[in-house]
Amino acid sequence: MHIRRSVAAVVAASALGLTGCGLGGGGGEQTTPEATGAPEGEITGEITFSTLQLKPTFTEYIEGVIADFEAEYPGTTVNWIDVPFQGAQEKIIADAQAGTLPDVINLNPNFAQPLAVEGIFANLDEVAPGVGEQYVPGAYEAFTVPGQEGHFGFPWYLTSEVTMVNSDLMEQSGLDPEQPPATFDELTAAARTVAQAGDGKFYGMHPALENKVATDLVKLGVPLLNEEQTEWVFNTPEAVAYVQELVDLYDEGVFPPDSLTEDHSKEIEAYQAGRIALFPSGPNFLTIVRENAPQVADATVVAPQIAGEDGAANMAVMGLLVPQSSPNLPTALAFAEFMTNAENQLEFAKIVTILPSVTEALEDPYFTDTSDGTVDSLARKISAEQIATAKNMVPVQFDDRVKSAVIGQIQRAMNGQQSAEEAVQKAVDEANAISFR
Amino acid sequence: MRSRRWFTPWLFVAPALVIAVVFYILPFVNTGILSFTDARALGGGTFTGLENYARLASDPQFWLATRNTILYAIVVVPLLVVLPLLLAILVQPQIPGMGFFRSVFYSPVVASMVVVGLIWAWLLRSDGLVNYIFQTLRIISEPLPFLTDATLLLFSSMFVTVWKGLGYYMVVYLAALANVPRELHEAAEVDGAGAVRRFMSVTVPTLRSTMLLVGILSTIAAFKVFAEVFVLSNGTAGPGGDARTLVFTIRDVGLGLGGEVGYASAMSLVLFVLTIGFSLAYVKLNREEQAA
Repeated sequence: MHIRRSVAAVVAASALGLTGCGLGGGGGEQTTPEATGAPEGEITGEITFSTLQLKPTFTEYIEGVIADFEAEYPGTTVNWIDVPFQGAQEKIIADAQAGTLPDVINLNPNFAQPLAVEGIFANLDEVAPGVGEQYVPGAYEAFTVPGQEGHFGFPWYLTSEVTMVNSDLMEQSGLDPEQPPATFDELTAAARTVAQAGDGKFYGMHPALENKVATDLVKLGVPLLNEEQTEWVFNTPEAVAYVQELVDLYDEGVFPPDSLTEDHSKEIEAYQAGRIALFPSGPNFLTIVRENAPQVADATVVAPQIAGEDGAANMAVMGLLVPQSSPNLPTALAFAEFMTNAENQLEFAKIVTILPSVTEALEDPYFTDTSDGTVDSLARKISAEQIATAKNMVPVQFDDRVKSAVIGQIQRAMNGQQSAEEAVQKAVDEANAISFR
Repeated sequence: MRSRRWFTPWLFVAPALVIAVVFYILPFVNTGILSFTDARALGGGTFTGLENYARLASDPQFWLATRNTILYAIVVVPLLVVLPLLLAILVQPQIPGMGFFRSVFYSPVVASMVVVGLIWAWLLRSDGLVNYIFQTLRIISEPLPFLTDATLLLFSSMFVTVWKGLGYYMVVYLAALANVPRELHEAAEVDGAGAVRRFMSVTVPTLRSTMLLVGILSTIAAFKVFAEVFVLSNGTAGPGGDARTLVFTIRDVGLGLGGEVGYASAMSLVLFVLTIGFSLAYVKLNREEQAA
């Protein structure tokens, strides 16, 4: 018995925490997108645009861009739906079953992957050839399906992690905050020194495994998947050494005791509370720190992300995707391209500390000017410098279940329940059972 | 007249019946059907027979979740049957101020489980109030890892469940205690029975049906436990997910874009059978005791 089920695109949770105040929209002087990327077909009619929890913070901005698009293309109407994170996936799956999917959907590559594999999204190489030339290469490549030709998403905003350091805690530990760690060895050495000095009052860093495991392994040269992308193969000596280092750090009290099962939100809380000195994360989180703990924000020094052996940094990408089933494909494609063009992305980046995915926008002086002397502008500059060569290091197959399985085994090792070698082997076995059963 | 009005009762029950069928019966049947397929959140749906159940039999995560869930029921149910009864007896007397205590004991019931879980997660941290008190009283020298040791996490979740459920079942028992004839207590007292003997020989037998109800309700609640474990463990069910319960695992497997809906449905049916099985066993045990 074969039960036919209709499938379609789904909106996924944002990988980036957005903060900041909404300012005016994208300006009233938007120009028509460059002809080389413009989708073919008449641009008119009604479309639905879905985002994730951008209201009310960015209502003005989004509505401004929509108004500009409708002015640019008379006869078009864009209905904006903002979906709360909670239950977003379930809601959109239900919409997919009902055939009421939005025409333009906000997704990150990991969430787009299961849908792209099903052939949900329009292939931009076919429907909008050349549109990808304006984007940062690493960002445009993020929306591809392994083993398949084509690109399926307009890259929207990016973040690239920087290393934030609490200079007060560094000084109390006898370290020079102007010499932040630049390699993994320096990072763990500094964390150990800080934890020793802290003696339970403050710690070196937070494990935040959910954010770092995959990217750290890639940076250390560990291949996550085989070449055919049909098997997880990260059970290498380097991966075992990495896990062993985590075990040692936890045993030595470099991480706060309860941090073993805590996530990134707890890491932010710990940094805000002055309980950890080293905080590798997106510069957009500095805005949260500034709101909640201005003293810690003032004491924060920023350094480049600890990169891989090839010097490449990681980046997180958000995109806009258009289902092939959209009843108004030309308009949907035109709107997605309009929303992600240089002018609109630059305006968005001035509202919150994110980066545009358009190369031209990244060349704006806004991303190089640190004359105001604030750590925020420095974080923005460092992050922007990294983007040109950054890559989305997390394979799309590294979904929530695989991540949970891998992290679970590492947690067991850190808790002393198994060796690092056992942890890595079991993580690979479990990941393969989930992904390639 | 009677033949023209045969449908009248059905008209009265129709709304409730429709809701029950649409929101309970049909989803249950659908779950049953899906459990025999490879249905996913996107795609799938081919009939696979008993493959999901065979997979469950060899899935260590499933067995771990089953063990934790059964352990949860074994610990929590007796506590929720006995402790609220004792509490009800304590607050039953109609003396000034007793209403305040009844309200205090009932207040955790109306609080959101998420809020309760967050508060207890804060209290049970290594640097939280509970460890601080234990260390100050020299009961322990090092903080106990309530939130990062799977066994302690599971028992902490059980504590939260009992703490939150006490007031609810206390109210159920209070209503039942009001129906215990005073003459029975007076007669027992005249015969020389003390408080404990009166409790065992008068109160408990009279409240047997209520205790059965509380037992069944708390069994179902224990088998469905999720929020306590989720909130206390920050969504991880402890290191390696070792404190996971069946509902936690069903959610883990079935939700999200890559969700294996068919497999999760099979797990759901197993949970249903387990819950019904334990409840029926409880009823049978109670009947045997009554017969004896």
